[in-house]
Amino acid sequence: MSESFTHCVLPYDRVDDLLDGALPFLRDGAEAGDRVLAVCGIAREMLLREALGPTAASVEFVEPGTWYSHPARTLADCLSDADDIAWHGRRLRVLGEPVVWASRPPLEVLEWQRVEAMVNIAFRGTGAAIMCPYSSSLPAGVVAAGRRTHPETVRGARSIANPLYMDPWAYSAQCDGEPLPPPPGDADELEIDRPDLFWLRAYVTEYARRTPLPDEDLQRLLVAVTEVVTNALRHGAPPIMLRMWTEPSGRDPALVCEVTDRGSWEPGSGYGLVPPRPSGTATGGRFGLWAVRLLCSIVQIRTGRGGSTVRLRLRLPAVPAAVNGV
Amino acid sequence: MRWASKYPPRAYAERIRTDLDGQAMETPWFAKRPVKDIRPGDHSWLAYSGLEERDRVIGPFVREGLETNEKVVYVTDAPAELLPGVGPRHGVDVHAYSRTGQLRVISRRDACLDRRGAFEPGRMLETIGREVDAAFGQGFRAVRLTTDYSWLLSEPGRSDIAEMLGCEHRVGDAVSPSTMAMAICQIDRHACPPDELAALRDTHEVLVEVDPEFDDGILKTVRTFEPNGLRVEGELDAARHQVFAEQLAQVCLARRRVHLDFTDLGFIDLGGLNLLAQQATVLPADEALVLDHLPPDVENVIEMVGWHRLPGLERGRERAFTETEGMA
Repeated sequence: MSESFTHCVLPYDRVDDLLDGALPFLRDGAEAGDRVLAVCGIAREMLLREALGPTAASVEFVEPGTWYSHPARTLADCLSDADDIAWHGRRLRVLGEPVVWASRPPLEVLEWQRVEAMVNIAFRGTGAAIMCPYSSSLPAGVVAAGRRTHPETVRGARSIANPLYMDPWAYSAQCDGEPLPPPPGDADELEIDRPDLFWLRAYVTEYARRTPLPDEDLQRLLVAVTEVVTNALRHGAPPIMLRMWTEPSGRDPALVCEVTDRGSWEPGSGYGLVPPRPSGTATGGRFGLWAVRLLCSIVQIRTGRGGSTVRLRLRLPAVPAAVNGV
Repeated sequence: MRWASKYPPRAYAERIRTDLDGQAMETPWFAKRPVKDIRPGDHSWLAYSGLEERDRVIGPFVREGLETNEKVVYVTDAPAELLPGVGPRHGVDVHAYSRTGQLRVISRRDACLDRRGAFEPGRMLETIGREVDAAFGQGFRAVRLTTDYSWLLSEPGRSDIAEMLGCEHRVGDAVSPSTMAMAICQIDRHACPPDELAALRDTHEVLVEVDPEFDDGILKTVRTFEPNGLRVEGELDAARHQVFAEQLAQVCLARRRVHLDFTDLGFIDLGGLNLLAQQATVLPADEALVLDHLPPDVENVIEMVGWHRLPGLERGRERAFTETEGMA
């Protein structure tokens, strides 16, 4: 791979600014024989098609709701694509706007912003090129984060080093700077003192069955809880506590499952944020926590001298208020 | 013909298999049992794929009978010391057991052939009846009967399938109500066409299989022979990784394609998937570890992790209710 990975932000006010940056990016890709993806809604697609002319035929337009389905899964899938294409001697080029995820619940937005940072580590060596147009009409916090997570800024056809860019690990640590809100007082609490976990899965299953968690998510939850508790038993310090509760209110109803212990993680643990590369070499069990991120909606980790907390959130289907109690 | 003993043997208390939810298992018209659980009244069926599988069922059947004061009746033309589970290799002195009448190796001619050397079901029934009746007087608490019918079906001038079915029904009628007799009818599963094999199987109430490699009530693994591999039931997590890894390594030694039957796998953790992938890397380059009959929620987890991240694992046969239970 002759070219190195690039990840740049394209801040824009007006559509002309967007086109000035995006069109050369897409055209260069088409000319170079890259696989070129534009993740955008139908209105933006029409605009780009018209501006690109015949070159539009070399661009794959992707529906953003599907593409930005889940932070960890999107990162993993896109990285797999980039690796596949690199293996065939080509380059992946993606134009993707944060507009779809910027309006999602705050915890998810935080994870998308973290993905923007981790991309810089995960895609090293793939030769891929990712350009993220950030409209000035996005929430101010999203725009500000974009400046910290992209090493380069595009102005027209030029790109310059971004002076606000932060080290991805430092950025990720900053995402976890706030302590987690304490579990509700009525959370279900269980101390885990036996290394055999089949009974724990029976317990979690019984709890989950009393919530609206869809059946297909139950096995994911069980795999995730087993992994986190297994890690705590191996590397943590007792007591290991499991707490479960539901957060039914607001826009983001969730089944929450928290595992705490008194141990603290080594610095540079990785926290499962970077997908393991399918290089054929033995991964040595390293995909554990990363896979947990794929299996849950959101994973929150806090670790320090006071102990460690891993909080697994699985989204619950929103139940219309009128149906409750019927 | 009915055989009964005055004292129901204590060792064979009634067992009802239950699954992990504590519910009685829903089985088809036959029960599937490891050979260690065969008990009086069982007229059971073993369609073996090869001598290894046969020996690992019939060997324990014969040996456990001899070790627990039960009479063993084996109808065969093979020399006694070459039978599964006995002979010098197993430290079992066949002649000593033969002298006391505990081991009865009866030739086909003496057991079930007529004067012209043709199979005569009536004689087989008489032989069984005679041996079982005698056993009670000899002080044995039970009788284990076995023979291999493959020769009847595969040799030239083979027996009529209807005649065989009739014979099996009569043996079944004789054994099932008995509190002393138990039988394993062996057949090489390649000895006759599948429809005939199914018809013969259906004359039995019990399918017998090898004893599990491991079974602690949470995880159970059973060796399979066609295809070569393991059937994995229950839950696999870190508490049982080591024992599972050892067994997996064992079946991978054969340097043949290895299949894992996951029909009744309830749970596998990420470490377990990793363990499978690691073992797959040890297989010869063109071979894979094939996962058959994946339950949908387990497959869903594998798909989320990505098959491409688990090189050497291959999706095998789809999950389906099989008509070939006990045959393939």
